[in-house]
Amino acid sequence: MSDAPVLQVEGLVKHFPIHGGLLQRQVGAVRAVDGVTFSIRRGETLGLVGESGCGKSTIGKVVLKLIEPTAGKIVLAGEDVTALKPGTMWTHRRRIQTIFQDPYSSMNPRLPSGTIVGEPLENFGIAKGAARDDRVAQLFRRVGLRPEAMRKYAHEFSGGQRQRLGIAKALSVNPDVIVADEPVSALDVSVQAQVLNLLIDLQEEYGLAYLFISHDLAVMRHISHRIAVMYLGRIVELTDKRTLFTQPLHPYTEALLSAATAPDPKRRRQRKRIVQGDVPSPAKPPPGCHFHTRCLYATAECKVTAPPLLEVAPGHHVACLRRPVGGDPGLLSIPG
Amino acid sequence: MAIVADDLALPPARRFSLWTAIRRNPTIAIGSVLLTALVVIAIFAPLIATNDPFKIAPVNRLRPPSERWWFGTDQFGRDIFSRTVYGARVSLVVGLSVAAFSSILGLALGLACGYFRRVDGFVMRIMDGLMAIPSILLAIALITLSRPGLGIVIVAIVIPEVPRIVRVVRAVVLSIRAQPYIESAIAGGTKNWKLLSRHILPNTLAPLIVQSTYVCASAMLIEASLSFLGAGVPPEVPSWGNIIAQGRTFFQIAPWTIMIPGAFLAVTVLAVNLLGDGLRDRLDPRLARRL
Amino acid sequence: MSGTPGAILEVRDLHTQFSTLDGVVRAVDGVSFDVARGETLGIVGESGCGKSVTAMSILRLIPPETGRIAAGSIKFEGEELTTLSEEEMKRLRGHRISMIFQEPMTSLNPVLTVGTQIAENVVRHLGVSWKQGRERAFEMLDLVRIADARRRLDEYPHQLSGGMRQRVMIAMALSCDPQVLIADEPTTALDVTIQAQILDLMIELKEKTGTAIVLITHDLGVVAETTERVVVMYAGRKVEQATVEQLFEEPLHPYTRGLMRAIPRLDVEADAAGTRPRLQEIPGLVPILTQPIVGCAFAPRCGFATDRCRSERPPLVDAGAGHLVACWELDRVRRTA
Repeated sequence: MSDAPVLQVEGLVKHFPIHGGLLQRQVGAVRAVDGVTFSIRRGETLGLVGESGCGKSTIGKVVLKLIEPTAGKIVLAGEDVTALKPGTMWTHRRRIQTIFQDPYSSMNPRLPSGTIVGEPLENFGIAKGAARDDRVAQLFRRVGLRPEAMRKYAHEFSGGQRQRLGIAKALSVNPDVIVADEPVSALDVSVQAQVLNLLIDLQEEYGLAYLFISHDLAVMRHISHRIAVMYLGRIVELTDKRTLFTQPLHPYTEALLSAATAPDPKRRRQRKRIVQGDVPSPAKPPPGCHFHTRCLYATAECKVTAPPLLEVAPGHHVACLRRPVGGDPGLLSIPG
Repeated sequence: MAIVADDLALPPARRFSLWTAIRRNPTIAIGSVLLTALVVIAIFAPLIATNDPFKIAPVNRLRPPSERWWFGTDQFGRDIFSRTVYGARVSLVVGLSVAAFSSILGLALGLACGYFRRVDGFVMRIMDGLMAIPSILLAIALITLSRPGLGIVIVAIVIPEVPRIVRVVRAVVLSIRAQPYIESAIAGGTKNWKLLSRHILPNTLAPLIVQSTYVCASAMLIEASLSFLGAGVPPEVPSWGNIIAQGRTFFQIAPWTIMIPGAFLAVTVLAVNLLGDGLRDRLDPRLARRL
Repeated sequence: MSGTPGAILEVRDLHTQFSTLDGVVRAVDGVSFDVARGETLGIVGESGCGKSVTAMSILRLIPPETGRIAAGSIKFEGEELTTLSEEEMKRLRGHRISMIFQEPMTSLNPVLTVGTQIAENVVRHLGVSWKQGRERAFEMLDLVRIADARRRLDEYPHQLSGGMRQRVMIAMALSCDPQVLIADEPTTALDVTIQAQILDLMIELKEKTGTAIVLITHDLGVVAETTERVVVMYAGRKVEQATVEQLFEEPLHPYTRGLMRAIPRLDVEADAAGTRPRLQEIPGLVPILTQPIVGCAFAPRCGFATDRCRSERPPLVDAGAGHLVACWELDRVRRTA
């Protein structure tokens, strides 16, 4: 891992306007992403974990410039791409590719798989005709598919195979960064392992940086180097995975960890810190710390002051007013 | 590279067989057989017709169906069978050309509206306006401004049909634009024109074809109504609408003058609609996968 | 196999088939199990293993246009369900056996308030007055810990969050005191923190009401934390059955073992040096159910497979203490840690 980040995101904000009334005037905004900062180095996997509506998928799309950010800065391999219009952004798309969650709807059903995988090669003028076919065949082999399958259509593949096709497509232009949005959550357990292993192998082989978006903590722990926990558009905790799983500091991280199920009957009934209630709507997030409505430790101050994301230990960032540097040991221990 | 190739066990591809295709989708089969028959009749009308459809013979007026005049004769003694056979030409030409013109126009406008959102509001309001014009009044107006003829009839029918196609195409484009594979293609560096031609256009064709069969059927009916009202093709041209219009005063003494062209019209429209319904079921993968 | 004493639901040699364009799909291919009063039985397997079809078969919800129960028997409190008329089944469903589904939004009627939907179920099955039905609906919403239940009675499904809707589904399913509750992936569509709430609620209510739960899931974590006994299914067949402790202590079928090694673990510390351990893959794909499976369905993907596995279907044998497993190579599997 070299130290220069390949992807830097600073103060990223994405608000989706809500229109209402007779004249369809803007009456509010869904604050999907509300000031998010992180960076990823070459060969590193940064996990974005959180529950539905926390903005993790929106970050993926904004970083890919599939949707335009409201504010903030996106620096891709040293170049600021935030304000680039689609035409100029195009040349930078080579550097950042994506793998989608649903392998069934992310492939055009009317095109043969070889054409889909080879499309970026054509688009960027890397290879055409026979050269393209050779390269696609190579990619097929690399992701564990037979090159003869190039002529088959997407519906003729299984879920896991389709995800391999998606990976081959993302890989085709030798990107620096791959945004993987829930790439294994639609897959069966046995196939999920195949895909995760493939992703890790490819990362080690090509020095890829992954922005890995998932709600599944176990998958996260397996594939990520560092993990950012998100809640209602903000990062509440960001640290290396070892620290996150052994010494979580944010009450929400604690809640997520204690809510996760483990395939071990002995662990049952040990879960104690289950948070109650639902995630509030991102259109009307609670004031102050967004988590205060469900937090076991919330004080009056939490209801008014939004906590900044502070580095409390080297590389360990937490956004919580109740966590002074060093922490309160009584709150730090999690059961189980 | 120790990765297991897991593409071993896939269901064998089904072979295409005409018989299973017919059994699975009898509406397409029936519709296309009927329609093919009509096309053959229209093309080979001079060979099929037993008499000259234009020849007036007052001696033989209003003869019932017989060996000589299979479908009888009209009030001018013209052979109804021959006129009906020639009438297939008018109906098919009107139906097919209206379907073709409105599809081409509708596809272009629909793609533009669905893909370039800036033109959408403007174009769609115009389409709403066009849809509000009754085609019969429009045709009458157009014909008073120029000479009656097939071309004017086609134009008059195309104008109000275009918005129907535009709506269908636009809706399909909007739904395809929301598909993850479009995002996937954009992320893979696909540019606008290729996105349209490779990923969006092919997916609009199936619903477009289905919709255009309905347009075709409705154009045939409108043409018949226009001709019946005297605002369609010139009265001497044998079109089904004209034959019915001219026979209507003699309906009680010579019902064949109306029944026979009417039956042809009904069967043709039915055939086109059957084909459309069958294609809709066949081309919609969600319906096609069901039994 | 003879019926277990105390079994409320006995499924014997169930075969459920669907006819499709590709041929007959043997979705459930000879599955037997019992559900004891008040227990939680897990049915676990990957997509297409027949676990949901088994549940639908018990409730006779197989769409008659394409599917049918081809053979086997389902006895509920000694009564044979496979031969009941649709009318009799309707009286049973939602009353003595009820079901909750993965997606609560699609199983609730969007144009009726939740109070009306629960009350209707109660009035239909218990023959009480509408007022009593409403009161029962309130009690049930309160029981599933929906705050401000009185007001929620008059809300529509779309006004509730996903977790809340699943609570309503549970309230409705339990409103007539069923003996058996079949829950098909009840928490799969929910967020982790909500999933934990719902699972806890289900177990708590089970203990309160004595309803037996059949929990169908693909998630081994959910199985481990909530069930007492587990049936593992693969390609329409039961390959293993054990108590939850036995199963996670010593899984005996190579498929179960494969599954357990394939899942990333949250609770195992194995990455001290920052390297990520490889997950063990199960090679290959699940078999296609339109083609008859000769021998063991798992044989093509199994490291232990022999010629016998590929030609003869292994019977379920008792590997000790009621731990059933269908594997010819049981001894070899056992010796391999």
